[in-house]
Amino acid sequence: MSARVAVLIFPGTNSEEETLRILRDVGAQADLVHWSRGDTLPQYDAYVLPGGFAYEDRIRAGAIPAHDRMMDHVIDGASRGKLVLGICNGAQILLEAGLVPGTGPARKPTAAFTHNVQRHFICRHVHVKLTIDPSRSPFTAAHAHDALIPAWAAHGQGRLAADPAELEAIAKGGHIAFVYANADGSTQGATPNGSALGCAALLNREGNVLAIMPHPERDAHNFNHPQRRQGNILAPSGGAAFFRGFADALNAG
Amino acid sequence: MSRAIHLRADELARIVATLGREPSTVELHAFDAQWSEHCSYKSSRTFLRRLPTLSDRVVVGVGEDAGIVHLGVHEGERYGVVIAHESHNHPSQIVPFEGAATGVGGIVRDVLCMGAQVVALADALRFGDTSDPRGHQRAVARGVVDGISAYGNAIGVPNIAGDAYSHAGFDENCLVNVIALGIVKESEIVRSRAPIGSAGWDLVLVGKATDPSGFGGASFSSVALEGGAEADKGAVQVPDPFLKNVIMRASYRVFAHLRERGVVAGFKDLGAGGIVGCSAELCAAGGYGATIDLDDVNVAIEGMAPEVIAVGETQERLLWVLPPDITADVLQIYNQEFTLPEIAYNARAVVIGVVSDDKRYVLRHGNEIVMDVDIDFLTGSIHEELPYAADVRPTSSAADGFLTDLTDAFDGEPHYVRYDTAVRGRTVVPRGAGHAGVLCPIPGSRLGVALAVAGDPSIDDAFEAGEYAVREAVRQVVAVGATPIALTDCLNFGNPHDPAQLGALVRAVDGLAAAAGEFRLPFISGNVSLYNVDADGRAIPPSPIVACVGVIDDVANVVYPLESA
Repeated sequence: MSARVAVLIFPGTNSEEETLRILRDVGAQADLVHWSRGDTLPQYDAYVLPGGFAYEDRIRAGAIPAHDRMMDHVIDGASRGKLVLGICNGAQILLEAGLVPGTGPARKPTAAFTHNVQRHFICRHVHVKLTIDPSRSPFTAAHAHDALIPAWAAHGQGRLAADPAELEAIAKGGHIAFVYANADGSTQGATPNGSALGCAALLNREGNVLAIMPHPERDAHNFNHPQRRQGNILAPSGGAAFFRGFADALNAG
Repeated sequence: MSRAIHLRADELARIVATLGREPSTVELHAFDAQWSEHCSYKSSRTFLRRLPTLSDRVVVGVGEDAGIVHLGVHEGERYGVVIAHESHNHPSQIVPFEGAATGVGGIVRDVLCMGAQVVALADALRFGDTSDPRGHQRAVARGVVDGISAYGNAIGVPNIAGDAYSHAGFDENCLVNVIALGIVKESEIVRSRAPIGSAGWDLVLVGKATDPSGFGGASFSSVALEGGAEADKGAVQVPDPFLKNVIMRASYRVFAHLRERGVVAGFKDLGAGGIVGCSAELCAAGGYGATIDLDDVNVAIEGMAPEVIAVGETQERLLWVLPPDITADVLQIYNQEFTLPEIAYNARAVVIGVVSDDKRYVLRHGNEIVMDVDIDFLTGSIHEELPYAADVRPTSSAADGFLTDLTDAFDGEPHYVRYDTAVRGRTVVPRGAGHAGVLCPIPGSRLGVALAVAGDPSIDDAFEAGEYAVREAVRQVVAVGATPIALTDCLNFGNPHDPAQLGALVRAVDGLAAAAGEFRLPFISGNVSLYNVDADGRAIPPSPIVACVGVIDDVANVVYPLESA
């Protein structure tokens, strides 16, 4: 029997449908789990936290949902090695929960995804480039070195910020799994939001918790991708490949 | 709490004569809202009949909260596109962020209440001169864009089309037109009317606790803004996109439950005129009356006057007509499964009354009847024949000085980079990438929907402005490879009591009708915004704004502009 993935819905989540769809498209057995059904979470083998504005981004994006009862199960599961993926607001929640970079105790965040350098919401198509050894995490094991993933950045608070010592620890610890990149793989001028170190995604030390700010699930089909609009437009795009690696690791595990 | 009543003396006399008595305070406020231009279209309705409204593809035409046009067939199922188009001009001028945000909130409810998934937004904006040295117009523009962005992004609906202009002609009256698109299986459409045989069914109010915000909003929108407009700030509604996000998802769940149970219900958004406006129109449309107990309404503060509960325009509310044996299930979905009372203070779904078979509209408060009128008299009998001068061609000063590049007001970037254009994962042509926005809305299907919005305020002849708006919206849809199938319009004009200003509206309608007739395209939804005049009584430039929906059988055939190929 294949592993089961829970896609969590907090009040204010808004990207659950497309996240569920792409997980199922790549062969994961996934269900939506609503905040009023959070007690079912321990039965699942992996957790995906989709984008949105959980609890209205009160205080800081991710700060309140990090203390939701559902996160007790996620924090517990992560400590047992379950795979946990957070996208955009989900990434902000994982950071506020202390699961990434994971350099401090639970719910004592050591860094923040905070207001973009523009001080407002931005929405644009981007690419992210794998910067770690792919074998370091089940999320990336299927990818080549320097793999490029297309995605949509759509956030008001996506800029990684921390004090200099913590940023150095994040960089040295191999926590920056993906950086923003241009379509040709170069990184010059690619960071859309002023994020420290060009960070687009954070990974914990154990490699089982990944927090990615841009949305690969919004580049699921060729029709979503600005440069791939001919041919089979319903065929999976690079965003689907990102999720396929996750699903394959899960079903193999 | 007190506020001005805008009913005219002759309207009041007619109410007294028909009721055979002085109206109660609640009745006075109810008629004031319901007989405002905003609710009744009393001075514009005659002319709107000149617009073509029929085609083979129209599934639900003008007259409901949103229109529906046939999109195509996927796996044997017929799908329709739902579209609604409204203005939120007056509120946005006074409190730009909240005014624009509640505009989005309202248009989303209009589409949601047809039983549809809300899949796209668009906006047409007209600002004052954003290069003004005092920065006021720039502040209005930024507030409006931030309001649209905050609301649309939070509920997770992509903004895929629109336009924006800046000119001193809008210094005292910005325009915020918003359009929402939905997708619905045609077999699952929910109507905004009490269904046949619904006498005795429950009226279930859903959403935010009723508070004094937006009290007097409908009639406020139907008069000219004056120097004392600051005092009307309380008439502007307060948005809550966080609560709306949850209400939308809970309502999708209710739609599924009603389908499983084979129940035909009625569903309508609370907008202008609040509980009275919504419940009276919902029940009158089915040929019924209603009896509502205002004490059963979930309120935010105790001790509110009954007229405030009755016609206040608290946002994020909808009203169901449900058979009593299904009510408990629906209350469970909203209140337990989606925990509305935990999302916002005293938000919930609650039974507030019943559909009656006697065509009386009755409100109770305390142990008293505070309103008892003929429902058709309240909702349907108002009409105003005003003189107009359609042959007057205005000598407008406004032929030049229009800005379409507003990036100076937005840190050097297009204003729409603040809008999420890709959420839901179905966007093919995002905002700004093509002449029209395009979605591939149905998973597994190659069917595409195109949406474009047009209007050019620099055209000072209203007839030509109307023609242009239709032709340009159609051109933009054709330019992405889609076939136009339906139009919507919003007529943003001046004071209908000024014959020349009403004449401009009439000429614009004729222009819209002429151009739509050339293409054999129907208008399936629309809106009128009047009293857009400055302190000296001068009207804004003629602003008929048109949205066009198109269909593409296969999104592989989308045509992109050369520069993005």
